[in-house]
Amino acid sequence: MADYNKPIPDPDPYTTGPFWEGAKQGKLMLPRCTVCNRVHFYPRTICPHCHSDSLEWIEASGEGYLHTFAVQHRAFGGWADEVPFVTAYIDLKEGDRMFTVLRGVDASKPETIKIGSKVKVEFEKATDEVHIPFWRVVS
Amino acid sequence: MPSNPSMSAAIVGAAEADRIGYLETPKTATMMHVEAIRNVCKQTGIKVSQIEAVFSAGVSPQIAEYLGIHPKFFDTTSVGGCSFEMHVHHALAAINSGICDVALVTHGEIGWSARATKGRGTGRASGGDPWVPDALWSNPYGVTGAPSNYSHSMTRHMHQWGSREEDFAQIAITTRDWATLNPRAIMQSKDTNPAGGPLTMADYKASRYISWPLHLLDCCLVTDHGGAVLVASADVARSLGTKPVWIAGAGENTSHSNMLEMEDFTATSAKASGEAAYKMAGMGPGDMEMAMIYDSFTITAAITAEMLGLTPRGEGPSLWANGAAGPGGKFPVNTNGGGLSFNHSGMYGMQLLVEAYRQLSHTAEDGVNGLPGKQTNAKSCVVNGTGGSLSNTGTLVLVSD
Ligand SMILES: [Zn+2]
Repeated sequence: MADYNKPIPDPDPYTTGPFWEGAKQGKLMLPRCTVCNRVHFYPRTICPHCHSDSLEWIEASGEGYLHTFAVQHRAFGGWADEVPFVTAYIDLKEGDRMFTVLRGVDASKPETIKIGSKVKVEFEKATDEVHIPFWRVVS
Repeated sequence: MPSNPSMSAAIVGAAEADRIGYLETPKTATMMHVEAIRNVCKQTGIKVSQIEAVFSAGVSPQIAEYLGIHPKFFDTTSVGGCSFEMHVHHALAAINSGICDVALVTHGEIGWSARATKGRGTGRASGGDPWVPDALWSNPYGVTGAPSNYSHSMTRHMHQWGSREEDFAQIAITTRDWATLNPRAIMQSKDTNPAGGPLTMADYKASRYISWPLHLLDCCLVTDHGGAVLVASADVARSLGTKPVWIAGAGENTSHSNMLEMEDFTATSAKASGEAAYKMAGMGPGDMEMAMIYDSFTITAAITAEMLGLTPRGEGPSLWANGAAGPGGKFPVNTNGGGLSFNHSGMYGMQLLVEAYRQLSHTAEDGVNGLPGKQTNAKSCVVNGTGGSLSNTGTLVLVSD
């Protein structure tokens, strides 16, 4: 396997450990509050909706919708080789958002990319410990 | 019993470093601070030793030490370009509560010179914490700085409100028109910069995409700047030779830090900070005769116009349509030529303050360092800074004496 040449997260094991453990198994793990039952992202030690500290991790569907996007024409490091590429905010089916590089779209034709499109998560192995989530348009 | 601080303090002077823009010989950020401080002290007749409070984005103890003064009140709020509007808010509160009578708000930044100094002399620590949300959840995806983030907001605005790139282009074109009247502006003319002088829609459309849908001409400059304003109590303001510009209202707020938490990509906390400032002033958007609006990008200015009640929701760019916000228009906006065409060093909030002071004290044509600007007739101005990733806002309502 060629070395992953883009920025690799250096995960915080204290508040995000289960996310990265799940990612290694191809599962999207999200924190959910047991008081208000709402999911949040990024993971925290307090529910940003009701401020409870009673949180659990759930395996999410890995499905979502495209909220908004941009086409990056300028980038650095490993990403510089990929321009133009599409970055996007994803509305998670379970609630809240994630950021990603969007796959399954033509960056040279932004007018063909539709906000609201259905997307699915996939993971790319960057190191043995860190598998990075990416989202792909599925129609 | 708390009292409304409205009008209890005034901006009594506003100055810049000796040279700003693309400096041929690099300077350090501290040098830019000190030049501006020396100039504002000269302008007002206030001695450095009379400064009782120091406000800056991150470096107030360092600046106080460098000047050899021992302020009894200081604040290093550093939340991006709106920091300086917040500093004025905080200075107003401190003066109203009797803690001090003379406060310095100071700025020095070398967005341009840092290329030549290889990042040295910026006064900023390097390196980041890998465990913060940006590092874990955004940076792995190739985003690099403000344009790559703000573009997502413009896409959503176009989707949600039907705005078109031609609408945003009008902001860039009108703002450039102001720059052509300001000899301090990088883009004043072909003499000041090969890309300077008036802009056309064709120029806009031909400019390359930095982060679609942001064209290069939707984006601010990256320059050097130093600026300083002095805020003083009413008694001190009345004793000086300069014209005071009164702080009628001030407010600040935040909607998120990382864009992941930006609930509505077409709205900012300027709605909340603007409402607070208008309420303190007992005024509303209809009472404003001009605006100084942070234009890191055209989308920033457009959304802010909506948030401040200057246009209906979704119609921010209409404020600039047909040159209405330009020279000779009915509502002047960004009369210095903006961050888009005048000067933008990284945190542009100080440039907003300097220009608002010049307009409302009717000294724009007196010149800064010998270079005059274009005077409007406005006697009230709403000033709004935006910092971070459309994250934080500081709003001021300023009025002429
Ligand atoms: Zn909760």
